[in-house]
Amino acid sequence: MLAERAPSERLAAALRPRPALDAAFRQGWDALAGDDAAERWAAAVLALLHANAGAACLMALLRLHANPATLADVAEHVTEICRHAGAGAAVNCLDAWDRLRLPGLWPGFLRLSREAPDDLPTLAASAASIAQAVGGSGFADFVALGLKATGRDKLRRAAFFALTDPLARRALAHGEGSGFAIHERRLKLFATALWGRPPALRPLPAAEGRPPPRRASLSDGVVLLPETFPGVPPAAQAALYRASVAHALAHLLAGAPRQPVGSLKPMQLALAGLVEDARVEALAMRRFPGLRRLWVPYHVAQPEGVTAPALFARLARALFDPAYADTHGFIVKARAMVAAAAPFDPAASRRIGGLLGNDLGQARVQFNGRTHVIEPAYRDDNLGLWDFGDKAEAPPEMLDLMVEAARVRQEAGDSGTQQQGTDAGTARARPVAQPAQDSVLLARYPEWDRAEGVERPDWTSVRAVPAVLGDVRRLDAALDSVPDLRRRISRLVRAAKPGRPQRLKRQPDGMDLDIDAVLDAEIAREAGELPGERVYRSTALQTRDLAAVVLVDVSESTRQGNVLEIERLAVTLLGEAMAALGDPFALLAFASDGREQVKLTRIKDFAAPFDALARARLAGLAPGLSTRLGAALRHAGAEVADVRSFRRLVLVLTDGEPSDIDVPDPLDLVEDSRRAVLGLRARGIDAFAVVLGTEGADNAARMFGRSGYVALRRLEDLPARLSDLYFRLSRR
Amino acid sequence: MTSLANFIIAEEPYYRPVGNEVAVFEAAYRHRLPVMLKGPTGCGKTRFLEYMAWRLQRPLITVAAHEDMTAADLVGRYLLAPGQTVWHDGPLTLAVRGGGICYIDEIVEARQDTTVVIHPLTDARRILPLEKKNELVAAHPDFQLAISYNPGYQSAVKDLKESTKQRFVGIDFFYPTADIEAEIVAREADIDLTLAITLVEIGRRSRHLRGQGLEEGASTRMLIHTGRLALAGLGLAAAAQAAVVLPLTDDAELREALTAAIAACLG
Repeated sequence: MLAERAPSERLAAALRPRPALDAAFRQGWDALAGDDAAERWAAAVLALLHANAGAACLMALLRLHANPATLADVAEHVTEICRHAGAGAAVNCLDAWDRLRLPGLWPGFLRLSREAPDDLPTLAASAASIAQAVGGSGFADFVALGLKATGRDKLRRAAFFALTDPLARRALAHGEGSGFAIHERRLKLFATALWGRPPALRPLPAAEGRPPPRRASLSDGVVLLPETFPGVPPAAQAALYRASVAHALAHLLAGAPRQPVGSLKPMQLALAGLVEDARVEALAMRRFPGLRRLWVPYHVAQPEGVTAPALFARLARALFDPAYADTHGFIVKARAMVAAAAPFDPAASRRIGGLLGNDLGQARVQFNGRTHVIEPAYRDDNLGLWDFGDKAEAPPEMLDLMVEAARVRQEAGDSGTQQQGTDAGTARARPVAQPAQDSVLLARYPEWDRAEGVERPDWTSVRAVPAVLGDVRRLDAALDSVPDLRRRISRLVRAAKPGRPQRLKRQPDGMDLDIDAVLDAEIAREAGELPGERVYRSTALQTRDLAAVVLVDVSESTRQGNVLEIERLAVTLLGEAMAALGDPFALLAFASDGREQVKLTRIKDFAAPFDALARARLAGLAPGLSTRLGAALRHAGAEVADVRSFRRLVLVLTDGEPSDIDVPDPLDLVEDSRRAVLGLRARGIDAFAVVLGTEGADNAARMFGRSGYVALRRLEDLPARLSDLYFRLSRR
Repeated sequence: MTSLANFIIAEEPYYRPVGNEVAVFEAAYRHRLPVMLKGPTGCGKTRFLEYMAWRLQRPLITVAAHEDMTAADLVGRYLLAPGQTVWHDGPLTLAVRGGGICYIDEIVEARQDTTVVIHPLTDARRILPLEKKNELVAAHPDFQLAISYNPGYQSAVKDLKESTKQRFVGIDFFYPTADIEAEIVAREADIDLTLAITLVEIGRRSRHLRGQGLEEGASTRMLIHTGRLALAGLGLAAAAQAAVVLPLTDDAELREALTAAIAACLG
């Protein structure tokens, strides 16, 4: 009989001995007032009770207000989470949801409660930042990314969900429509156009144990911008970034050197910074009057409020906006002082700031340097204005800030030099500067996550490893052992080589008359016959305009059965043919050791000749490691994309079985390679594979398409077939 | 026969000298040395040559080179007439016979095997062989050859042969200084100088982006177009968008950045 009673009745019975909960339940039940979802809600609460959730958790759930269906859903989710991760985590999730009210949070919470319950409270605490960056819909994806990226590494997983892991921050920066990374190129171009040279724009990293930075920072010519402006909706971020960069440029244009802090107090420093901001902006607007439109929306102070932040905001507006009326004595005085000062004198800002600071000090206006946030939001923190000299003399809160600024400056300097020249960048590849022990990071590329059906940005790191020089003589001996083949290839080269323009006689149209044909036609006409119409001559130039990257798989599997030896010979023959044809080409060998280590060995660059050195590098290739084909393809595509050529080709030599140590299911990499090939095709780059052995043929078909590969049954055929294939491809 | 008289420039074209280019050209002309005008598009190469032709009172025959241009397009060809074929001189031959200035604009656009026909004209021989007609045309004493090319944007494929390059006297053109350019823009677009100064400021913003995604910044010609659009009643921002931003680039981010930079110049 008991089982047939409604959940609400059973719940009421169960709660009767606990008056506080009972009262909350009755209130909640009354609020639902007989809705269809009410019983579902009661059932979930009952389940939660049975899961030993504890009073705090139950109370939090019972006191929630929302529409009945949502409430029932939430109760079910919380119950589920409580079962896996315990009541504490469930309360955390509930709180996070209550603050944000995004239904998209639940799938992420539920998944983490099942797979990494320990990290659920951390995730709940970070939920607001995550949701702000990627939206509710991106939340579950972010969780999936964290789980996948950190694997069994608990520490890293905790760091990821606490948003201190770099990958997490990058993922958030990639969120829709906000984040420095999205705007970086536009900002850089904008600043270059205004300033005349590319400025050094860098993301401003969050310091350990501090909230993420909220304002830009300018440090010896380097403009540091926050990864995102907290609390600013994505749609408004673009304008704020632009205003922020324009303000930084105003400082750069004014070009004032750092000034000694001297005996200035924090409030005086802040005021001097504010006056200096107004000064450099006024100077910049003399030259670029339109900048006012960028900044004016952020000056919204009204003539009211006498706390330090209010007065600061009023002063900022008063100095910026001549039309702004403010009769406060402090503002009137400040305006008069600034108007009387020389506009080109940064020392005047310091002097005025000092005087104004004294005034406010005498008026007992309280100023807290530690919590002071520069307003309006587009202005930088002004730490770049000051020379703090000996640290011991600086006020403690300024010292605090200064140490942080110095740290940031150093980091920016470290990465500054290496980012130059790589910005022309390709598609979504983001060049990153951080040298590993013996390899140089070339770029990061996305990878397709088959399980989740999304592309993970910056997932793989392609690194350049220096080539080892090998014994050319062995390679030359191998070449000499195939004289017939070399002769055949050189015949092919001659046939394909662009020669002199070919004269085409007796054409239906053309630039010139074919005098012989005209004479024949005239004779025919005189004789009363029908004259031929093909009386023109034209020329046709056989031009070759093909650039190719040849990717050679040198993974461990090429060790067996001399695969690499034969690859070497084949590539040498092909290289000779391409060099003789004058086709620009590059030769790259690749192998991988996990997603962070996709290693590329450069055998020949587009610009370099195919000479003894290139052959020595080819001879020095040694088999080892795995085959992460997708990343190698993307990089080859990025390289060939920069070459001006009518046709571009990526030719892959592989055994057809992508694999890597950190990918349990090789199908993941097959699918990723397929996506990479599609990406290349979309950019007008042909990708073609030569698969050694027939085992990899199925995968190759999947990755490169039915007509995008050729599988060689006999390895010995490779040298002959590879060159043949190239000629065929180059005619297509 | 086309008469060279049609190619005489009667009225003085507006040209504002920015350096010693007039003196260099006159010195070269005195010895009939072929001249090569280098520089980005729209900075006054063609106008300069018109001015010099007017100044020297020589007919100016301009040929715009293009990829499909053959040697016959320059020297001439046989055409069919009723019952016979008739030889027609090409523009180059016309200038060679009549003593005009032949100006081949953007010469690198033509294929290299086409441009070699000028070689015998540009050394001490000063002759033009008409191989099809079996004729050697000795150049008129007043004949002068000039070419222009823009070293910026052609690929290595489209470069002048070394043997061609070395026959010429070079004159380098670049955007004039801001005040001179403003003067030119004001005069050509018939707008007042303050507006012209703003336009030049806009032009300089776009030129900063050269190599950052733009092949080249806004030319003086583009600024003049902007000025004319503004004169016709279009707002300056709209005029700059139409005459500068849109023609310059298809890259959305670049457009956005350029538009913002232009907006910063406008009060």
